[in-house]
This record gives sequence, C-alpha cells and structure tokens, in this order.
Amino acid sequence: MDIRKIKKLIEIIEESDIAELEIKEGEEAIRISRYSAPPITYAAAPAVAAPAVNPVLTPAPAEEKITGHVVKSPMVGTFYRSASPGTKAFVEVGHSVRSGDTLCIIEAMKILNQIEADKNGTVTKILVENAEPVEYGQPLFIIE
Amino acid sequence: MHISQRQKSIIKLLADGAFHSGTELAATLGVSRSAVWKQINGLSDLGLGYASVSGKGYRLEKPLELLSQDQIYQGINSNTRELISSFEIHDQINSTNSYLMACARNNAPSGLICMAEHQIAGKGRRGRHWVSPFGNNIYLSILWRFQQSGPEVLSGLSLAIGIAVIRALKQHHIHNIELKWPNDIYSQGKKLGGILVEVSGESEGPCVAIIGLGLNLYLSETEAVTITQAWTDLTKVSGQNRLPRNQLVGTLLNQLIAVISGYEEVGIKAYLDEWRTYDCLKNRQATMRLANQQINGIVEGIDSNGLLLIKRPDGTVQAFASGEVTFNSE
Repeated sequence: MDIRKIKKLIEIIEESDIAELEIKEGEEAIRISRYSAPPITYAAAPAVAAPAVNPVLTPAPAEEKITGHVVKSPMVGTFYRSASPGTKAFVEVGHSVRSGDTLCIIEAMKILNQIEADKNGTVTKILVENAEPVEYGQPLFIIE
Repeated sequence: MHISQRQKSIIKLLADGAFHSGTELAATLGVSRSAVWKQINGLSDLGLGYASVSGKGYRLEKPLELLSQDQIYQGINSNTRELISSFEIHDQINSTNSYLMACARNNAPSGLICMAEHQIAGKGRRGRHWVSPFGNNIYLSILWRFQQSGPEVLSGLSLAIGIAVIRALKQHHIHNIELKWPNDIYSQGKKLGGILVEVSGESEGPCVAIIGLGLNLYLSETEAVTITQAWTDLTKVSGQNRLPRNQLVGTLLNQLIAVISGYEEVGIKAYLDEWRTYDCLKNRQATMRLANQQINGIVEGIDSNGLLLIKRPDGTVQAFASGEVTFNSE
C-alpha cells in the first residue's frame, strides 16, 4: 500500500470519531487504531517517575500538590547537603535563600557541582536525603 | 600561617640538597646562628625532612626544585600562553581549589592558574585531606569558564583531564600510568595523583569549573603516614631521582589547557577510546559504595557517557555516575 494512502487514511481517522479502521485491498491489509498507543505511554510515565518518590518515603501521597518553585537536579549523581561530611548543611527548611546561593552539591564522575537557587524565597521542603543518588530532573528543593 | 622571607631564603640555600653549616647560613643571611636554628626547626611544619649532622651542618632529605614562573613558561606553547589570563604561585595556601573558588565568586576571568609550594588544607573530594608538603609535589588549579555547557555536559571532562595528565607524563617518558575511574592517577595499583573538579553555575550554562590536580613527585614516608590507601610518587614510578619539576608543570599545562579549552567542541566521545586503554579497573572484582548500598561485581569498563559499568553476580549490568569504587583483593 502506498505510504501516501496510509497517511491520508490516518488524517481521515484523526478528523473523525472512528476508533479503529481496517481496510483490505486484495492481498494487503491495514488496521489503524487511534487508542492503542497512548495507554502504553501513560503506563510508562509513572514507572520512570517512581524512583523520584522513593527518597521521600515518609508521608506525601502521590496526589499531594507541590506548590512553589521546584529546584530539580540538572544531572544524575549523588546529592550532598553540605560541602563536606560533618560541616553545616548549605540550607535547612525555613531558610531564606537568594538566587545564586548554593543549595547542595551533586557529585557525578567526581565532579562536585554546586547547585544554586534560581529564585529568591524560603526553602519549604528538602526532598532528598543526604548522600542519596538522584536522577536527572528529580525535584530536590521547594522554594516559596 | 605564613612563610617568612627568612625561611624562604634558608629553603633556597638548602634546595641543592648539600650540607650547609649553621655558620655559613647565618653569615649568608646576616642573622644569628640561633635564628638559623629556629628556621631550620620550622621546616618540619612544612613537611620538609632534613638531616642535622654535627660538624657538617644541615641538609634537606631531598634536593628541591622550587616553582619558577619563568622556568614554567619556557615549557609552555603559544596556545597555552594565550589562554592563561593570569598565573599565581603561592609559597603557602589553604587549598589552590578553594582559593580559585573564591576568585570565581569575585568574577575572576577564565584561564586563571594557581599553584602552591605548600597547601595547609589540601583537599580531595568530600572533605578528604590531600597530603601537601612543601616544595616537592604539584598542586595546580585552573579556573575555566564554559559558555555553553552546564554541569551535565561537563561530567565527562573529569575523564578527559586524566588523559591530559597521562599525555603529559608520556612526554617525560613516564609510561606505566593508569586511570582508576573516574580520574585517579595510578601506577601499579597505587595512587599517584588525584583530580578534583568543582563546578558552579546554571544547568544549561554558563558555568565555571575549578580543575585541581594533585600529583605526587616525592613524598617521604613521614609525610605519607596519614595516607590511608596504597600510594606512590613519580620518583619511584619513573626511577628518575631529580624530576624537572618546572618543565613537568609546563607540559601538564599544555596538555590540560588543550583538553579543557577544546572540551565544549569535542566532548567525551573524543576521549573514550584512549581512556579505555588506561582503565585499571576493567575486568576486576570491585566494590561500589553508594549511599547505604554496596554493590559487588566485575567492572566492565565505561559506557559512552563515561559511566562505570559493573556486572553483578546475577548478570545484570549497572551504570554508575558516582560512588566509591575499590578493588577487591584477589
């Protein structure tokens, strides 16, 4: 079947309410279904997000609304709240921070990355435990 | 803490490694013999070993080649020279990395180099101490600003720096060097040097990196007593008793700055194959410690992003971006 023909069929389905369309043309057959793909995508998303919820463990059911500004991890690595073991944490809940202040260190490949606040405000939540591994895009802090 | 001019003068006189009598030192410096004795006594605080033999005088345990910007500059090429904005040599400093971190906060330009003869608080990662006695080793930090890269992109730089160090040592005919992921400099299973990179800035760039190198040229047993892992130095590794310290710094700067300045363009891909030829963990039993976990397995090398691959006993392979990896005794 001509690819242009298939494209046209898809367009027709998109404009309509048809859920599934099957056409037979001699030896060839094509079935186009509009609802089979999306459910797979939706199923995959929570699986990826799950590890991010883990470190919190304690209360927070998934539906809890996160308000305020979320500082996310720009990389995969290990999260540290202080410059070195035994020294004071960069920030605690309740601290007010200014844009550019160091919030934590994320270590990857022995590079120590100082993660800075990108907004002025008060730290209302610290979402990761010291020395825990973090994923790309994982929420670390909430600043309000 | 500060090294006085008088102490520096005595060190310079003793640098040749020959015996110098108290009388001779006192006369040359125009001070009393007891003043000389006091200065000599202070050498141990700097980590300098010396012998005192009655009738002969004082002698350093090992001759010193003190850092000299002129001599270093004789060994650097025009490309490197152009990219260095400023070059500082300190007799004594807390830590060359900490100093440049402070400079970065005060908007110091890219290409600032800091070296020191002695670090009071030389540091490794996560608060570890880097043994940094006076005058024998290399403590070198470079401040570099990356315009287009954030921390994610720069993580591979860590591996590339290790290659720069090996390339420099090869130019000095020192060949038996290996890398332990991600960038410890090793020789025959013993640590020879370490690299500490500290980055701050925005996730999409620009950001500033402080790239620090500590390389052992000569460490006395007395100084090394606090080191908790197998260590070595270039004197042992190369069999050369008098390494040309300033020339070595020049070569290191050429290689380091070439890698650092070109990194945004070529990325880690340009270094993977070369890195793999120096990998001293590959196919070895190792333990990875990460937060509360401990993973045992066989190291399979690095992936295309420079992450360490460990094959667990159940056959699954896991990639690590961070963590403490140690050889297992075989």
